[in-house]
Amino acid sequence: MGKQYEIPLGAQHISLLEPLHFKFTTENEKIVDTVANVYYVHRGIEQACCSKFKFRQVSFVVGRVCGLCSVSHTTAYSQVAEKLIKIEVPRRAKYLRMLVIELDRIHSHLLCLSHVAENSGFEALFMKTMQYREFAMELLEAVCGNRIQYDFSIVGGVARDLKPEVGKMILERLKIFKPQLDELVDIYQNNWTLSLKNKGVGLITKEDALRLNVVGPFARATGLAADVRNEYDDLLPWKEVGFEMVLDKAGDVHARNMVRLRELYVSMRIIENIINGLPESALVTETKTFPDGEAVARLEAPRGELFYYAKGNKTQILERLKIKAPTFSNIPAMVEAFKGNEYGSAPAIIASYDPCLSCTSR
Amino acid sequence: MKLNSFRKKSPWILHYNAGSCNGCDIEILACLAPKYDIERFGIINTGNPKQSDVLLVTGPVTKRSRERLVEIYAQMPEPKVVVSCGACACTGGVFRGMYNCEGGIDQYIPVDVYVCGCGSRPEQIIDGVIEALAILEKKTKDLEQSIRLKKEPVKEDTQLNRRDIAAEIKEIA
Repeated sequence: MGKQYEIPLGAQHISLLEPLHFKFTTENEKIVDTVANVYYVHRGIEQACCSKFKFRQVSFVVGRVCGLCSVSHTTAYSQVAEKLIKIEVPRRAKYLRMLVIELDRIHSHLLCLSHVAENSGFEALFMKTMQYREFAMELLEAVCGNRIQYDFSIVGGVARDLKPEVGKMILERLKIFKPQLDELVDIYQNNWTLSLKNKGVGLITKEDALRLNVVGPFARATGLAADVRNEYDDLLPWKEVGFEMVLDKAGDVHARNMVRLRELYVSMRIIENIINGLPESALVTETKTFPDGEAVARLEAPRGELFYYAKGNKTQILERLKIKAPTFSNIPAMVEAFKGNEYGSAPAIIASYDPCLSCTSR
Repeated sequence: MKLNSFRKKSPWILHYNAGSCNGCDIEILACLAPKYDIERFGIINTGNPKQSDVLLVTGPVTKRSRERLVEIYAQMPEPKVVVSCGACACTGGVFRGMYNCEGGIDQYIPVDVYVCGCGSRPEQIIDGVIEALAILEKKTKDLEQSIRLKKEPVKEDTQLNRRDIAAEIKEIA
């Protein structure tokens, strides 16, 4: 047995977007143990949502939980609030919500992929992926009016309508993006240099994934069929718009990249279907009732299952709001998957988890 | 074009997230990417505080990231400028008054440029950084000035000479 060294990574590090601290115990550069410390960005949003803001304002506050999947948070909260005040959302609003969630998924997945490439040492691929990602940001700006933090879902429906010319623009841009995505898939799948850093690295088995309660692309890369869109059809009609689950077997960084890339094809197909078959109806259901009782809502955010619980007491202010973000479920598996890998590949593994600590800490 | 005056120096950026929602952070990342490309101003992102000139901070300061923020600021060499990105870094924004948040980073470190917006657009961030570069140049000049003042000759030599006060060496008989 060699001598063991402790190497810290974070809270401020070039490979990290947000403050996250890992303490690796290494032996001959191999990681044998990891301690994760994630609560640097705890702000106390849940408490403020139950004391400071009225329940219609909360959908704007929870969007600020996370900038990457803000539409997932606002939609999940809107769903839970709609259950509490017992209203049905118009059909067009449901479709528009799905449209923005899928556009958001495209930009989030491409960001994660570019980050993996950068942390694997492939700067040119980072630049290329970020360049191709800009189209999603431009489309989101055209649809919602802002590049990030689009307060699109509100309690009862959506805040903006989709103009026909914007719909046409989305379809045109998707046509341009498709060959670019093919090019990216080719590089991520076949590049030999990248495969040295990605194949067989950060491995986790299907049994471990099931035992450690993994969600999102992290779980689907191991072959575990965990997708809320597949099991849960009453709030947003995913099956109608052509959703299909993407699975891989290997469970390493490469498999996670491939799952994300193949999910982009599914997202593109969903967006095309939504725009071609957008139903006509009102955008918002108006009501003056106050929230009462308890409700939960689940939604597939880009990183996995997002869970909201809320309790009302017939006043403007909620009694309790609980947010369980996908990264929170993934932390035990994140720590597990480091074991046996080189310390040098740790940044790439962290990026491939696509961690979102501001979701986790709230 | 003012590009020529900026080419004099290639400022390096240090980015720290003090509890932001990642929104402004991905916009900073988008600034580094080909569409907005702040590398044309000689700017690159570095992870080392000891090599950087511009500190880009996002997020309201949470109680846990506060000490790290001050530590990073203290480790950066002079001259340095601080740019606060986004509404919550400037004032606390929507998080102002939450129990684990401080309102804005200027309570702890001096801020030179405030970039507003939730989240700040890449164009705004680039504008803010360019403005910070002008401040950086001014600070550099000020710093050189003060060094020149210190080098003025001293009028009266008040320093003790060690040889004057040293004990005499007696010859051995």
